[in-house]
Formats: sequence, C-alpha cells, structure tokens
Amino acid sequence: MSDGESIKTIRLGGELEIGRKDEIRTALQRSGSDRAVLLDLSDVTYADSVALTELLRFCVSSSHDAIPVALVVRTPQFARVVQYAGLAGAFKIFGDRDAALAYLARSDTE
Amino acid sequence: MTRRLSVPLVLTLGFLALLVALLIAGGVLVRSILTSSYADAEYVRAARIAAGDAVRAQLDEETGVRGFSAVRDPLLLQPYFRGRAVLPSLLRRLRSAGETLGLHDARRLVADADATNRRWLRQVARPLLLVKGRNGHVLELHGKILVDRFRDDLAAIDAALLRRERQGDARAQRAIGLANVFAIGAVVAVIVAAALFTIQQYRLAVRLEQERATSEEQRRRAAESRAAYEAEKRIADTLQDAFAQRVLPELPGVRLSATYEPATEEAKIGGDWYDAVQLPHDRVLLAIGDVAGHGIEAAVAMNKTRQMLISSALVDPTPGSMLERVNAELIAANFPMITALAGLVDARAFEFSYAAAGHPAPVLFEPGRRARFLEVGELPLGISPDAAYATHRVKSVPGAMLVLYTDGVIEHSHDVLSGESLLLEAVEAAARRAGEDPARDIRDVIFDRHRVSDDIAILTIHFMSPAAAAAVPDAAVLQRTA
Repeated sequence: MSDGESIKTIRLGGELEIGRKDEIRTALQRSGSDRAVLLDLSDVTYADSVALTELLRFCVSSSHDAIPVALVVRTPQFARVVQYAGLAGAFKIFGDRDAALAYLARSDTE
Repeated sequence: MTRRLSVPLVLTLGFLALLVALLIAGGVLVRSILTSSYADAEYVRAARIAAGDAVRAQLDEETGVRGFSAVRDPLLLQPYFRGRAVLPSLLRRLRSAGETLGLHDARRLVADADATNRRWLRQVARPLLLVKGRNGHVLELHGKILVDRFRDDLAAIDAALLRRERQGDARAQRAIGLANVFAIGAVVAVIVAAALFTIQQYRLAVRLEQERATSEEQRRRAAESRAAYEAEKRIADTLQDAFAQRVLPELPGVRLSATYEPATEEAKIGGDWYDAVQLPHDRVLLAIGDVAGHGIEAAVAMNKTRQMLISSALVDPTPGSMLERVNAELIAANFPMITALAGLVDARAFEFSYAAAGHPAPVLFEPGRRARFLEVGELPLGISPDAAYATHRVKSVPGAMLVLYTDGVIEHSHDVLSGESLLLEAVEAAARRAGEDPARDIRDVIFDRHRVSDDIAILTIHFMSPAAAAAVPDAAVLQRTA
C-alpha cells in the first residue's frame, strides 16, 4: 500500500470552527474505495466543539467500518485539545506524517 | 456620500458625449472644406478675369500695330500702348494665382506667353511701326503665329483654371453632402440614444420594482425571524432564569461557589451547565458540562443530560459508571455531542473522585503547592457506544480548592495552552484571596483581560479546615441546583 493510491489523505488547517462546518464535513466524506485515511491536522491550532464533533464522528465511523485512521497533530495548542477531548486515548495520533503513514502501512499488512 | 452612476447611464452619457464630439468635429471639417473651396473659387475667378484681360490687352496691342501700319495715324497706336502698359501686370497676377492654386503648368505657360509677347513686340510690332511696307505680309504671318501661341498659352491657363474651378465646386458639393450625412447621422444617433435611454429607464424601473418586492419580502422574513427569535428567547429566558436561581448545597467541610455567564445576549441560552447535589454522609455530587451548539435544542439536550446524570447518581454515584450509563442513553436518543465531568466529593475524607468525558481537566489547588490540572482524556458523551470512562480518585488536604469549568474559560483566545496557564494563575490568585465567591474571582481575573466569547461556567469546591468548617451551619436537606 502506498500513499496516494489506497491511503486517502485529508488535510485541514487553521482554526476549525462552526463557520467551517460544511467545509469540514465535506472534507471528511469517505468513499467506498478508501482503505485507510491519513487525517493531516498538522496546521490546526484550535477546534471548537462543533468541529470536534465532526472529527470524532468521522473517527468513530471509520473505526466502526474497520478503516484505519491516523491523525497527524503537531501544534501543542491543538494537541492539548485533542488530549482532553479524548481523541488521544481512542485513536492513533502521530506527531509527523511519516510515522502516521508507517502505521497505516502496517495496518494494511496485518 | 459618494453615489455611483449606473453602468447603463454611464454608457448613455458616454455615447452622447461621443456623438457631440463627432458632430463638432464634422462641423469643423465641413466648414474647413467650404472655406477652402470658397477661397479657391475667388482665386480662380480673379485669375480667369486676369487671363481674359491679358488676351484683350494683347489684342489691343495687335489692333494698334495693324491700324498704324495701315494708315500711319499715331492716334491708332493708343490701344497698342494701353495693351503694353497693362499686359505685364496681368501676366504677373496670373503667375501668382497659378502658384497659389498649385497649378503646376501655370508658371511655364505664363512665362511662355510673356516670352511670346516680347518676341512679337520685338520681331513684329517694332519693325511694322518703324518701317512702312517692309515685308508686311511676312511679318504679319510671323505675328499671327506668335499671337496664336500667346492665345494658346492663355487658353491653356484658362482651361486649367476652369478645371480647378470645377474641382472646387465638386469639393463644395461633397462637403455639403458630408454635412447632410452628419445631420442625418446626428438625427439617427439622437433617436438611438433616446431609445437606449428609454430602454435603460424601463429596465431600471423594472429592477427597482423587483428590489422593492425583494426588500419587502426580506422585511417580512426578518419580521418573522424576529418573531421566532423573540419566541425562542422567551423560552430561553424562562429556562435561563430557572437555571440562574441556583442554590448551592451547604455542608460542613466544603464550601461551593459557582458562576455562569453566556457569551452574548443572543446566545443567552447556551449549552453549558453545572449541578451540585448534596448526598448523604457529607458527600456532594458534582456535574459540569457543555452541549455542542446553542439555542433551544442545546438547552433541551442540556437539561435531559442533567436529569440523566442525577438519576444515574441515585443508582450508583461512581462517576465513571454514571457517565457510561448516560452515554448509552444519549447514543440511543441520538443527542448532540456533550462534554461532561461528573464528580463526587467526600467532605469527611477530603476525597474527590471524578470521570471526564471530553471535558477540560479540573484544577486542584493545595496550600503550599502550585495549582495543577488533573488527569482527563476520555471521549465526549454521545459519540461512541463503546466509550469507557475511568473513575479517578484524588486525595486532598484541608484548604485545597477544586475548580471545575467549561471550555469557554480556557478557549477565549483560541490558544488553549495560554488559556490554561491563565486559569492556573487565576485559581492561585482566588485561593490566596480566600474570598466568599472564588468562582467569581477566577472569572474576573481571566475576563478582565479577555472578552467572553463563549458561555462560561465555573464551579469551585473549597475543602475547609476543621475550624472553618465548624462555623458553617449544617445543611441536612438534599438540594439540587438549578
């Protein structure tokens, strides 16, 4: 499995707020051919409860459908939000993209 | 105030300006052509008169010589002398007119006529005047040849002048035709401009009518929205007033304080809440949470969640178990995401047990130590049916203070780390101050520097020293806030 073929990359950045709900929801739509998803949130600095809801529901539904999801979180502000919102305990969070891709590659071979 | 002209009006005005400019330019052009043609005609007329006078002057010269030669009467020489006197000036005038009119052959023809006349004077007239009967026939034949040449030159000049006169007439005719075209064009253009302006005015009237209708529709909808908003606000105010009339439990060993503030008037009914319910054996059930969103829907979800939490506590007040039961009910009811923290305070044991569901970490301040965040990290309620919530237990000391809050307290600048840092400062400041309302003190420290951009709720639990606890009256009645 290689990046760009069967790993779908979704990239979001900046401050994720209620005003961007539609954009976030559209970005987080999965297609039937997705075998794994890299959710690149490297540039996200903040997410309000509405945006967190979208992210959480996406991760939960992917998990339910046995689609591996790896989140890339780099900014310390957003990492703290992710930590207390419970994403860190329930989903795979990585500090860089390569580690996330390596995890998804391993998931595919298992 | 600057008013902008509409594009059609600008186009119409531009078209009219262009039309006026074209008419002025056309008028100037026609006037220039006519003036030039008139001046040329004057020159041509004067030149043709001069050419005719020159022919007559030369005829006078010839008549005078012939008469004198025949009868030798000096009186008959008068025409000769008159012709000689005026002919040079007439030929100069012709040369000048030819140059002015740009007739290329005029200069050559006038020069030839002048030279021919001089030859006639020298070779014919003078011999006939001086000697009677000398080769009369030969001289007259030679004179006829020269006179014919002179007249041919003058005829050629007159023909050129005549052509020029006709050309001038033709130019004038074209100029008049051009003037007619301009006039007709102006009339057509004015009609077109008037038609365009009328069409534009009609469209403008139609658009204004549409805008008026749209504006009226918008006003009607705004009035409807306002009415709907007012209705929702009345419900929200009622709910909020009920929420604001909170009485916190009073019991020995702990002192509670709380504050709640909506972000704005429009968001007065937010999704944040807190509850403090006294349980037997000097225990207090605490709950604080935040429903994603605002409005009646959030308020309903908030109140149902509160009821579920308190009902669950009656079954088993273990915080983790409470959250798991409530989560199952919320998932079944398809509620929005809710972050919450449930806690149980044991005033006798100075113990605080809690479980958090996607909620910001509580703060614990203990005398002699820095304020710190307690451990959290489970999913919010209403997200996953498989979510498990661990119960954390914290053993505290007299004088310690627990602070529970909602995310608006730390997310005012959208930088959670700086928000948490400020919260720790505020908690320590409130603990040092030891006032009657530490929740309010914390709120004031934080929002003295920041705008309240989201609902905020703060709930503090102060573990009192035995001496201070003795001063607090026993409250045996189970009370619930809100």
